[in-house]
Amino acid sequence: MRFHIPYPYFTGKSDWMVQSKKQKYLFLAFCLIPTFIMFSIFTLYPLFSGLYYSFFDMSGSSQAKEFVGFDNYIKLFSDEIIPATIWHDYFLVITKVIGIMIMAVFIAVALTQLKIKEAPFYRIIFFFPNIMSVVVIGILWAFIYNPDLGLINSGLEFLGLENWTRAWLGNENWALTSLVLPSIWAGIGLFMLLLMGGIANISKSYYEAARIDGANEWQQFWKVTLPLVWPQIKISILYIVITTLNGSFIIVQVMTGGGPNNTTHVMGSYLYQQAFQQYNFGYGATIGVMILVISLLTVLILQFILRRDKVEY
Amino acid sequence: MKRLLKNPFVLFLMIALLMIAVACSDDSSSEGSSDDSGDASGEDGSSDSEGLSGTLEIQYFVGGYGDSWWKEVIGDFQEEHPDLEIKEHAGPNINEEMRSRWVSGDPPDVVYIDGAGSSETQMVEDGQLMDLTDWAQDLEVDGTPLMDSFIVQPSDFDGSVYSLPLVFDTWGTWYDIPWFEENGWEVPSDFDSFMDSMGQIQEDADIAPFVTTGQHPYYFLRGMLYPAFGAAGGDELLNDVITGAEGAWTSDTVLEVMKKVEKMQQEGYIDEGFAAINHTQSQMNFLLHDNAYIPVGFWLPNEMESDKPEDLEYGFVPSPMNDAGEPMAVVPDMRPLAIAEEAENPEAAKAFVEFVFTKEYASLFSEHTGAIMNLQGVDLESNENVPQYLIDANKMINDPEQAQIYQKPHPMSADLETPISDSLVSLMLGNITAEEFVEEAEQAAKEYRNSQ
Repeated sequence: MRFHIPYPYFTGKSDWMVQSKKQKYLFLAFCLIPTFIMFSIFTLYPLFSGLYYSFFDMSGSSQAKEFVGFDNYIKLFSDEIIPATIWHDYFLVITKVIGIMIMAVFIAVALTQLKIKEAPFYRIIFFFPNIMSVVVIGILWAFIYNPDLGLINSGLEFLGLENWTRAWLGNENWALTSLVLPSIWAGIGLFMLLLMGGIANISKSYYEAARIDGANEWQQFWKVTLPLVWPQIKISILYIVITTLNGSFIIVQVMTGGGPNNTTHVMGSYLYQQAFQQYNFGYGATIGVMILVISLLTVLILQFILRRDKVEY
Repeated sequence: MKRLLKNPFVLFLMIALLMIAVACSDDSSSEGSSDDSGDASGEDGSSDSEGLSGTLEIQYFVGGYGDSWWKEVIGDFQEEHPDLEIKEHAGPNINEEMRSRWVSGDPPDVVYIDGAGSSETQMVEDGQLMDLTDWAQDLEVDGTPLMDSFIVQPSDFDGSVYSLPLVFDTWGTWYDIPWFEENGWEVPSDFDSFMDSMGQIQEDADIAPFVTTGQHPYYFLRGMLYPAFGAAGGDELLNDVITGAEGAWTSDTVLEVMKKVEKMQQEGYIDEGFAAINHTQSQMNFLLHDNAYIPVGFWLPNEMESDKPEDLEYGFVPSPMNDAGEPMAVVPDMRPLAIAEEAENPEAAKAFVEFVFTKEYASLFSEHTGAIMNLQGVDLESNENVPQYLIDANKMINDPEQAQIYQKPHPMSADLETPISDSLVSLMLGNITAEEFVEEAEQAAKEYRNSQ
């Protein structure tokens, strides 16, 4: 392609209203290139180097590495802990999606439709966990669950339910379930705000029309509110799924470290253990590739399931 | 300005400038880090140990022992070598923080291997530590050869020495002396008396007498099981279980030890909440008399200093997992000092390592940390700054009738320790039997052997 200088500047013509193609592309390049460079350095490079390292046997604490082909992938498929970590991740995804969405929708509707005077106060209260670091939330809840001093066991004892007390995070059957509560608690606020925004945008006339037609509150919720905030719900679900698959690692690491006996390990925390505590960095990278593939598949499937035409009245 | 921005050349120039800026910033940061590593050392040459020069980088973990001893020793070394620039890399997370330096082949010169994120075995396997076998033979401490002055010999990696054991720590079982005296509870000397004592405590105080941390199950593995294996099968069994030798974990001796653990669980002596708590929480429970026995190393008093109730007095016994009539077993847990294979100033590093191993600093170490440095013949009793529990423990450990010292070849690899620890938690929760545990451990050992 021959390079030529755009004419308006050098031909003396002053046709400023017409933008040449070149100009357009240059402007686009100006916007995109820096972002693309950053994206390449901070996302693409680690992504591909992760893929590259998954073919090596290396400890991650020295430069020494040995090419082992697909050995790490073979190990991945024969590792008994891997299926458990995947299940734990999806257990958290499913319970969080259900828990957060029900609570967030319920609270958002209550705060926007029921004309509660203290609505702004509740909005702040429910949003509060979102400004806290997940690490802090994890530590806080670890204290709440503490078998000796914790609020939950003390509360149960106060209510005369001594038989129900247990070492929540130290019990192989209860530890994973115990992680759901703080995860939901920490997640409601953001999605509540998102949905409140959606609900506020629904024109009051729809509700008036529904009322005239004899719809009760419940019917209004199902027939008017829910279909009209569907885009927000869809985004919320996708967001919860992605952040859980990528981020449940933190809460697991802080609260249980994957224990007892691997009953709370999610893919991310198992990756961390393999790469940084057992010095199998190559294998850790392989688990990372697995997380990427699984996350991508999940999002694709979700996109398909949640496909529902936008409703307009 | 608007007009300028519309000019494609100006735009192009701006993009180019931006790219240059990005490229330059990248360069400058990597230059900075190489500066950090102290390249001055190599050039000036520091062959004359009288007047060392260049830069000496020392990495040390700061945990239960604190850092006051290090500050003093490094200060003294600096005084002796004023031309040497000493850079300290220290802290509770220093192993993680320095990892990138080790990975990039630019390690510090001297490293004290201790704490989370460090593994002597892994460092040796990765070829990161200098082979000190020949050099260490010629070292002397106050006139006697260093290798003869150690309480515990250095880790043996196929006949080579890569590190010199600096801190002699040992795990044992702790109790509160006045509390025991007040209630007339016996201090155990073997497994049977241990069980009797725990039964008594459970009855009198209505508590689960034994606690440990389930978030770090290696506290129980190293603190209770290693001494049990030492007492039952000596150095040979310890060596076999740590290296994952075929049939070691399913042997009758190991099964017998694990039966003891199973019995502790079945009697309800192990705190049911142990699996949920970390090491400081378990130590806190011990201080608050929620439990009466806890297996920890010598660093316990120093680590919990600010939380200690006034009337509590630390008592230490080697973990009483031995059969009646046998001496109790002590398995030392050494924290070594090593020199990086790629040290930029090896002369200064060697001089520092040599400088540290003196009886004077050994005595000072006990004062500062409440633990013992790995040198024989250090007079702790006449030093009034050394805590009493340490003097008592030291006496007990050195009395062959009371306690026998067993040595492990080197620390257990994390690849074997992790799965065994996982199964151990299950056993201690009562979810699997001792028989199931040894099968799982043997399977883990098999996988470990295959991965070697």
